[in-house]
Amino acid sequence: MQENGRIEIRGFLKLDSFIKKKFGTMPYFLEMDNSISGGDLAKLLGIEREDIEVIFVNGFVEGLDFMIKKGDRVAFLPPGCPGPYRIALGFYGKNQDNPANFKIQKKDAATDS
Amino acid sequence: MHKFIRIDMTSLKADIGKVPEKYVGLGGRALTSNFVNYEVKPTCHPLGKNNKLIFAPGLLSGTNAPNSGRLSVGAKSPLTGGIKECNTGGSSSQMLAKMGIKAVIIEGMPKDNQFYVIKIGLNEVSIDKAPAEILGGCGNYEAIRLLGKKYGEHVGIAIAGPAGEYRLPSANISFKDPEGNIRSAGRGGLGAVMGSKKVKAIIIDETGADKVPIAKPEAFSAASKVFAKALMDHPVAGQGLAAYGTDVLVNIINEAGGLPANNFTSGRIKHNDNISGETMNATITERGGDGKVSHGCHRGCIIRCSQWYADKQGKYITSGFEYETIWGLGADAGIESLDDIAYIDRAMDDMGVDSIEVAVAVAVAMEGGLIPWGDGKAVLQLVKDMAKPTPLARIIAGGAGIVGQLCGLYRVPVVKNQAIPAYDPRAIKGIGLTYATTPMGADHTAGYCISGNILKIGANLDPLDKKGQIEYSRAMQIGTAAVDSTGMCLFVYFGIADNPGGYQALVDMINAQYGINLTSKDVDALGASVLKAERDFNKKAGFTNAHDRLPEFMEYEAIAPHNVVWDFSPEEIDEVMNF
Ligand code: SF4
Repeated sequence: MQENGRIEIRGFLKLDSFIKKKFGTMPYFLEMDNSISGGDLAKLLGIEREDIEVIFVNGFVEGLDFMIKKGDRVAFLPPGCPGPYRIALGFYGKNQDNPANFKIQKKDAATDS
Repeated sequence: MHKFIRIDMTSLKADIGKVPEKYVGLGGRALTSNFVNYEVKPTCHPLGKNNKLIFAPGLLSGTNAPNSGRLSVGAKSPLTGGIKECNTGGSSSQMLAKMGIKAVIIEGMPKDNQFYVIKIGLNEVSIDKAPAEILGGCGNYEAIRLLGKKYGEHVGIAIAGPAGEYRLPSANISFKDPEGNIRSAGRGGLGAVMGSKKVKAIIIDETGADKVPIAKPEAFSAASKVFAKALMDHPVAGQGLAAYGTDVLVNIINEAGGLPANNFTSGRIKHNDNISGETMNATITERGGDGKVSHGCHRGCIIRCSQWYADKQGKYITSGFEYETIWGLGADAGIESLDDIAYIDRAMDDMGVDSIEVAVAVAVAMEGGLIPWGDGKAVLQLVKDMAKPTPLARIIAGGAGIVGQLCGLYRVPVVKNQAIPAYDPRAIKGIGLTYATTPMGADHTAGYCISGNILKIGANLDPLDKKGQIEYSRAMQIGTAAVDSTGMCLFVYFGIADNPGGYQALVDMINAQYGINLTSKDVDALGASVLKAERDFNKKAGFTNAHDRLPEFMEYEAIAPHNVVWDFSPEEIDEVMNF
């Protein structure tokens, strides 16, 4: 995982073909000198904010403000992960401020406790 | 008036009676599990005359509620020795419900070796000798075609494949979908129970059936709209499943380090791109022909997670190509070609075996030296050999537990002798608690849904940390047992698992259909009572808390990339079912 000075980048769901088309390879390796937040890295790559619910950094689910260092393995995950796994993998602790989070409280249907 | 149909295979007679008082108001899993607990001798041999096989549509089946066509099947399992409920799509559940049939029960067994086909019409049941050409190794695809020719293309069909005829522990019951392809009530060997009763197939002919009566049609239609909206609003429906199928999970679970690989010795693979849902989507699109990225396995499905996967010439290979099958063969057994996996998936459907049990058994056999690692062609031949069956094919179809025993291995990923599916419990701990404690044996679908305040339960969950996982597993199992009784397709959970509004709409539909006033708490109580009935049966069958444990190797073999072991104590595990 500790590639010198590089961040190892993947995208899933629609971002899979996005990264393959734009950068010609998956994973895509980006040379970096400094740390960068998940949100800024997305911007750099041309990934829309609304297309990311959470990111994985070295196998851990993180929010977009998480700081990524060189040598890290990062994956961008758009909305669309099945519900039980969103809970089991811990999305809820990380995505509450993210507009791409599926916000059950705001849905018309959300009536229960 | 609902009908309760009992078919006695000893006397070859059928009785169409009223629903016994104690089963009124139950459907799906609530009905099958309470029935098995009341009526099946817990210590019976699963393949002997005292086991009973029950088919029950869910409470909402037959209505126009989206995705409500699921059928529950129950019996004592020949694989686990405990209670089993599994469920399936296809057309049969909606047909039975429209015919007013609450349950079909098959009991007893004939003394001779003759196989039969049972035909269920609106007001009669007939039991015919099975045609010779569908017996003795005939695959399910051909058998369904021949039965369709004989009984009409419009009928629903449930069939025990060759593995069921040979009473192999991984045999499933296969169901015809609207296009004549196959859906399965997969786990726990219920196809072997059907085979033991010498029932090759059940034909369901709904000719003359009316609509399902609805007590409050307007309220039903309003709730149904809210439910449909809840499903479609969840990004999983539009952006996840319809495009990539359940195989969307390969990349996600792999990235989380919870994708069991090479017989559960690692949590991550390098060839995920070969077998991912994203690659499947791109391949289907590129090849064209019969391939379809998205397809519904029964009328009324609005999620359409299924797909038709075609070969390089565009010719159909398989449909309903699920994440768990692709994980089992692709990651656990290391087969790197999605085409090889698709042909094996088709062969497993054709033989009528549980694709999870067989895939995990294959990986254990690879570790045991019986099959070369990653050899898709060898595995395909082995599965085809289940039609005979050759001795090795018979052993593999015996399931992961027996293969591990015969190979002299300690690393055997089973709970209650049922293979652990596609999520490693060391890296995704909440699912591990569900594997350990569900009465079904290791089953990911036992913990899919939740009611109430998801933020309270989900907010601080970290997959690698024990905190909150006991409450999570308990809530998921109770919610799932309740929803399993409604007849909803399993995958509505993907949309409503984390949406209490969707869950409430489901309850409202049940109320409107039956003219009752359940609250979501009542439905939770139903879920809890189902789990209690199931545990009660298992206890009487000889199960104790000591059976609610993961395989010991997970306690001392850490997996990459997170380098984690299974670290729940027995006392902590037992807390899950303490409610
Ligand atoms: S979501 Fe998938 S499994 Fe469920 S009914 Fe639709 S196609 Fe069938």
